Amino acid sequence: MMIPVRCFTCGKVIGEHWEEYQARLDDGEDPAEVLDDLGVTRHCCRRMFVSHKDLVDVVSPYQ
Amino acid sequence: MVADFEVEFIERDDRNARFLVRGASPAFANGIRRAMIADVPTFSIDTVRFVENSSVMFDEMIGLRLGLVPLTTPLDDFEVGETVTLALDVEGPGTAYSGDIETSDDLVEPADDNIPIIELKEQQRIELEADAVLDTGREHAKHQGGVAVGYRHLQRVEVVGDAGEFDEGEPNILRGVIETEDGELVATDEFDHDLAERYPGKELAVHDVPGAFVFHVETDGSFSVEELVTRAAESIGARAAELETKVAV
Amino acid sequence: MSYKCSRCKRDVELDEYGGVRCPYCGHRVLLKERAPTIKEVDVE
Repeated sequence: MMIPVRCFTCGKVIGEHWEEYQARLDDGEDPAEVLDDLGVTRHCCRRMFVSHKDLVDVVSPYQ
Repeated sequence: MVADFEVEFIERDDRNARFLVRGASPAFANGIRRAMIADVPTFSIDTVRFVENSSVMFDEMIGLRLGLVPLTTPLDDFEVGETVTLALDVEGPGTAYSGDIETSDDLVEPADDNIPIIELKEQQRIELEADAVLDTGREHAKHQGGVAVGYRHLQRVEVVGDAGEFDEGEPNILRGVIETEDGELVATDEFDHDLAERYPGKELAVHDVPGAFVFHVETDGSFSVEELVTRAAESIGARAAELETKVAV
Repeated sequence: MSYKCSRCKRDVELDEYGGVRCPYCGHRVLLKERAPTIKEVDVE
């Protein structure tokens, strides 16, 4: 639904980088380079970004 | 009596550090690691009182998210078990961020301001009050100050000769920190974790250096790396002192 | 027990005789409103 606050595996705070990651992907940047730049280096943290989908817009009409 | 520790920093940042400790036994290195994870307390939201929540997520889901937000923890000013009250009141459209959390004590505030808590649409609102409590990682993982804390042996790389003329140029992957023959400490990411890149065409011998550990310590922002390591060492010291007095009685 | 009609969005009080039906527009889908009390959640 929303990006998790922390990485499930190691506990690093990742939520704060989500919006920048999304914005830079929309600008056509390479995801791997954006994640390196954000300091998200471990593959446990990287999968949090790569595999996430925001669902708030999908469920909000059904309130 | 064991020899003194020798500590050398390879990388040093507020939240991220790598340092070499010489003269430590494996048991002691692991003791420090465990103390950093389980014994150094941090503030974390523990109880949430929802006044209003018309967002798309349940109260419990938002409560869990709030519990994971790191809060700055000045350990000199608080004892384990003390609480600080926080509040959040945001109206949509917009996103409620960790930075919107207001605190009753300026010493305890969200360490990161840009963590999205919940996205709010038109006419949605969230209003809540929360109690943050100081506790240890032993009690709940959300109270862990250290993130991905670990150590490796320092590895000594020696050139023993030239590689055979017809040897395949295979990569020789190594992670951590190496000590070269002239005693220089090099983090392996400087040469892409590939020894073949640093020593092309050489035959190498790699050994663990006994009693030398390279710690990698990262904090969630509750406090600095120095604070985490010193508090962990203090907690081991305090337990040893307790044992000493109890045995003496 | 306070409900809200999903069609006309008006507050509806149900009694035991009227059955489940909005007295204003006759719609049969009613939504239960969130209780106005403060809810305490233990974050574990």
